[in-house]
Amino acid sequence: MIELSQISKSFGRHQVLQNISLHVNTGEVVVILGPSGSGKTTLLRCINYLEKPGSGKIAVGDFQVDCSRARRGDILQLRRKTAMVFQQYNLFRHKTALENVMEALLVVKKLPVVEARRRSTELLEKVGLGNKLDAYPSRLSGGQQQRVGIARALALEPEVILFDEPTSALDPELVGEVLEVIRAIAKEGITMIVVTHEMGFARDVANRVVFMDGGVIVEEGTPDEVFQRPREERTKQFLRRITPEANYVI
Amino acid sequence: MGAPFDIGYIFSFLPKLLETLGVTLLIVAGSLLTGLVAGFLVALPRMYKIPVLRTLSGIYLSFFRGTPILIQLFLFYYGLPEMLKLVGLDLTRAPVMFFVILTYGLHTGAYAAEMIRASVEAVDRGQVEAAYAAGMTPYQAFSRIVLPQALGIAVPVFSNLVIALLKDTSLAFTLGVMEMTGKAQTLGTLTQHFIETYIALALIYLAISFTLERLLLAAEHRLTRHEIRERSGGATWFNLKRRSTYRSLLHNLPDVDTGKGGRI
Ligand SMILES: Nc1ncnc2c1ncn2[C@@H]1O[C@H](COP(=O)(O)OP(=O)(O)OP(=O)(O)O)[C@@H](O)[C@H]1O
Ligand SMILES: [Mg+2]
Repeated sequence: MIELSQISKSFGRHQVLQNISLHVNTGEVVVILGPSGSGKTTLLRCINYLEKPGSGKIAVGDFQVDCSRARRGDILQLRRKTAMVFQQYNLFRHKTALENVMEALLVVKKLPVVEARRRSTELLEKVGLGNKLDAYPSRLSGGQQQRVGIARALALEPEVILFDEPTSALDPELVGEVLEVIRAIAKEGITMIVVTHEMGFARDVANRVVFMDGGVIVEEGTPDEVFQRPREERTKQFLRRITPEANYVI
Repeated sequence: MGAPFDIGYIFSFLPKLLETLGVTLLIVAGSLLTGLVAGFLVALPRMYKIPVLRTLSGIYLSFFRGTPILIQLFLFYYGLPEMLKLVGLDLTRAPVMFFVILTYGLHTGAYAAEMIRASVEAVDRGQVEAAYAAGMTPYQAFSRIVLPQALGIAVPVFSNLVIALLKDTSLAFTLGVMEMTGKAQTLGTLTQHFIETYIALALIYLAISFTLERLLLAAEHRLTRHEIRERSGGATWFNLKRRSTYRSLLHNLPDVDTGKGGRI
């Protein structure tokens, strides 16, 4: 369970998030949509404190932080309960696929090497990379790198995985394999917050869709509600702009 | 001037010059050690943008990169004891080597600082964020993710720095240190076979530079084995222009060269 209350964030004078509140149930997949610059990335990054929120509260599972007085230890705790999949993959370039997944198990969870290797191997097999365990990122395609990124996120058994446009840096022909993997883990009941421009995917996988614009949540609901019967003018405009495109893609 | 050229002298000078190789290498090793420590201390305030210390390290860099090493040697050897006398410290009996290693060390430190800063900054920030997102502490992220990659990036620059230092040590004779160049001067004066001594001297410097360069190249390959590297064909041995991913990367970095007169 994730509970964001009244999260605000400014960069200098520019307020990027204004009192965002969002509740995500365990096992739920929430997709965040919104035009460029609406604050989607910033919101995800506030959840694991890669950006420091100006104010608000974040609760993940039974752990809660008040952003106005978060301490170093709170931030580490919060990060250990969340995982992130990045647009640019951000794999550790000097480590093999297997070592990438093992790293946090060894360093953060302090598992014995044998156990960490066993679990990491399993996860890489699950994302279809059982034959690439010893490959360095420089030898992997974007799609393969992103699947390592997903395995690395799963390894920590987080309460929630945050995806920031996980397929938008990929060549079109590689998007499918990554969405496939995300779809599969969504089915397993892993809680996810996904920022994406893949409308088809959002419609399929999301339990709930959140539409953001100008640093606020404009509208949220089931995929049907938001895609078929949007209530707000801004949502309608956004969907009109983006939907015909989505039809061409598939 | 001098006696007629006689190639035989070159061979007889070689072992005599090599007797002082130890002194040269001692200066190189001592200065590198001093330089890396100084470089690290100077790089930190620049990387973390610490207000006053950052300005001080900027002044340090300007001085050591913007003035000739010869002047630095003289200033430290003749000037430092005088200055310290004012605060009651007597350095007049300190060995020359102390001043030599201190000067070369601080000089190297200026270039090492830029090497360290540029290498650390060349590791992309996204990986650090990935480490943080996984719950690693800043220390863990630095030592396990940034440092190993920064080392690989630093080696080619380090290699240039060591070789520049090796060659610079030839100026230590001006303070009367009997390292290889000092020895060569003496041999030349004694025998009047100056050309032969300098040829012998050049051969030795060349051999050491070459060996160091090969060793460090091997280290670089080992440290960057995760990057795709074009296989250079047959002529690797004398191919001083090395090609690798990091090489080309470094050309795009500001301020990484160890060449004199770079931007500060
Ligand atoms: N580090 C930063 N410093 C200053 N401004 C920033 C910073 N990061 C983001 N912003 C600003 O905050 C606003 C929201 O950015 P954000 O990246 O969260 O948008 P987004 O919804 O993810 O957009 P996109 O769809 O293009 O990824 C933008 O106006 C952006 O310019
Ligand atoms: Mg974004």
